[in-house]
Amino acid sequence: MTDKSVYIQVNDLGFSYPDGTEALKEINFEVIEGEFIALIGQNGSGKTTLSKCLNGLYKPTSGDIVVDGLNTKEGTIVQMVKRVGYVFQNPDHQLFNNTCWDEVAYGPRNIELSEDEVKERVDEALIVVGLPEHLYGEHPFFLSKGLRQRVAIASILALRPKVIIVDEPTTGQDIKQSLEIMDFLKNLNEEHGHTVIIITHDMPIVGLYARRVIAMAQARIMADGPTREVFTKADILEKTFLAPPQITQLAQADPSLGFDPGILTVDEMVEQFKGLAK
Amino acid sequence: MTSVIEIKDYTWKYLHTKAPALNGINLMIEEGSFVGIIGPNGAGKTTLAYSIDGLVPGQYNGIKKGTVNVFGKEVEAYGTGELQQVVGVVFSDPEAQFTAMTVEDELVFGMENIGLTIQEIRERLEWVTELTGLGDLLLKPPYEISGGQKQRVALAAVLAMKPKLLILDEPTSMLDPVSRKKIFEVLRILKTEEDNTIVVIEHSLENLVPLADQMILMSDSEIILQDNTSDFFKESGLLLEKGVHPPGALHFFHELSRQGLYDGDYPLTVEQGKNLLRQITQ
Repeated sequence: MTDKSVYIQVNDLGFSYPDGTEALKEINFEVIEGEFIALIGQNGSGKTTLSKCLNGLYKPTSGDIVVDGLNTKEGTIVQMVKRVGYVFQNPDHQLFNNTCWDEVAYGPRNIELSEDEVKERVDEALIVVGLPEHLYGEHPFFLSKGLRQRVAIASILALRPKVIIVDEPTTGQDIKQSLEIMDFLKNLNEEHGHTVIIITHDMPIVGLYARRVIAMAQARIMADGPTREVFTKADILEKTFLAPPQITQLAQADPSLGFDPGILTVDEMVEQFKGLAK
Repeated sequence: MTSVIEIKDYTWKYLHTKAPALNGINLMIEEGSFVGIIGPNGAGKTTLAYSIDGLVPGQYNGIKKGTVNVFGKEVEAYGTGELQQVVGVVFSDPEAQFTAMTVEDELVFGMENIGLTIQEIRERLEWVTELTGLGDLLLKPPYEISGGQKQRVALAAVLAMKPKLLILDEPTSMLDPVSRKKIFEVLRILKTEEDNTIVVIEHSLENLVPLADQMILMSDSEIILQDNTSDFFKESGLLLEKGVHPPGALHFFHELSRQGLYDGDYPLTVEQGKNLLRQITQ
């Protein structure tokens, strides 16, 4: 494939909850180091369950997941959190300490690092997420949702996982905040070498940031490929109850007009319009 | 037409904040209209919704100036629970409004509290379950279902009380595109068949724009733009400056217009956009 190596290998993964609900069926894919992936699909299609399998929180009912040479069935929590970090959809589900600093220190302390190392990692993570220093001692619940989300991400970053999964990073954010968070994740991906997987329903965001899309429906993967390619597969998208961004829909609306059906942004559409108008 | 909401020179400051959350608000919303409120987080949208439902000043300490009239009567003049029978609010965080152990009890709770007969409750339960597609979930605990399903339960619980004025605060923030469309389809039915007045606060505009008669832009505690939907988006430059992105098709035509490549109305749907593209490329 490329010169980069496979970091996660998922083979015939199946997962059932104790009540018998089959949440994942016959899942197969690879994650290459350095990818930026959007995991999309209808509510209840299995996206969050899959993420929790990837970081070893859930063990496969059948099949295997190997992360950096380690089978998640055998990996200890300490081994797994260093490989794959998962940021909850609702930051309030994971924040429980009295200060932002302690919140971020909680993970590193749990994997029994020395206090010096903990301090170094916490300071580093808080700088990366851009939390203003005067807020380090603040209670997380006094921060805005956007800042709470940053604290939640910092608490995962402090464990230095190679892969970061962020569940609905832009829910409840306005466009400006959404773009800020996504630019931040892009920076983690491009400048800090993290592999980023986002779970989202925001198709314009997928079009702007993700280089690869994995679309799920009814516990299975229905499509997996470069974003542009997946968004042109109208029949499959319909099955996954998804639709491409509106600008892509406009580009596809009348093929005789000559627009590339894989257009992902307004700017691309304007450029093509100029080309076609000549 | 009579106005359902009439707000005059209204300013509200929460007790422990320095700046007012709402400043010099003037707003008239007519019966049966469908209004979209947009703007960045922190602009005051939710506080405005609370003010119309009486939660502000009822449940919060603060300083109020001006008047907020709902159905011709000042909000504070309503007796306890009286205003909530005509105004329904669906919160952005569905868990904030859940109280019961099953979805069915959740839907019935409000209806019991406004004293409906068992027969009436049965009929409305059936109606609202069908309308929002919750049939399979009735016996499940609300905290065990997915985020998107929770939002549908929250909406259904409020709809069941048939409020004449319905306010929805980011009702689809956790939903996938198809479920999102379904919620707006429910709202379309309420608008066309039930004659409700509907106010929707949203960041995602694709589904809102084709339905809204009127749009309002809030920023820094004030209403800075208010117009019928197609005229409203003529100000797309201002919207973008305030961090609001118009739907893709509309945004594209605005960009063409800004670059001097197009001069005409903006499309509100993909279909309208397609037709306009056909016209200008011929």
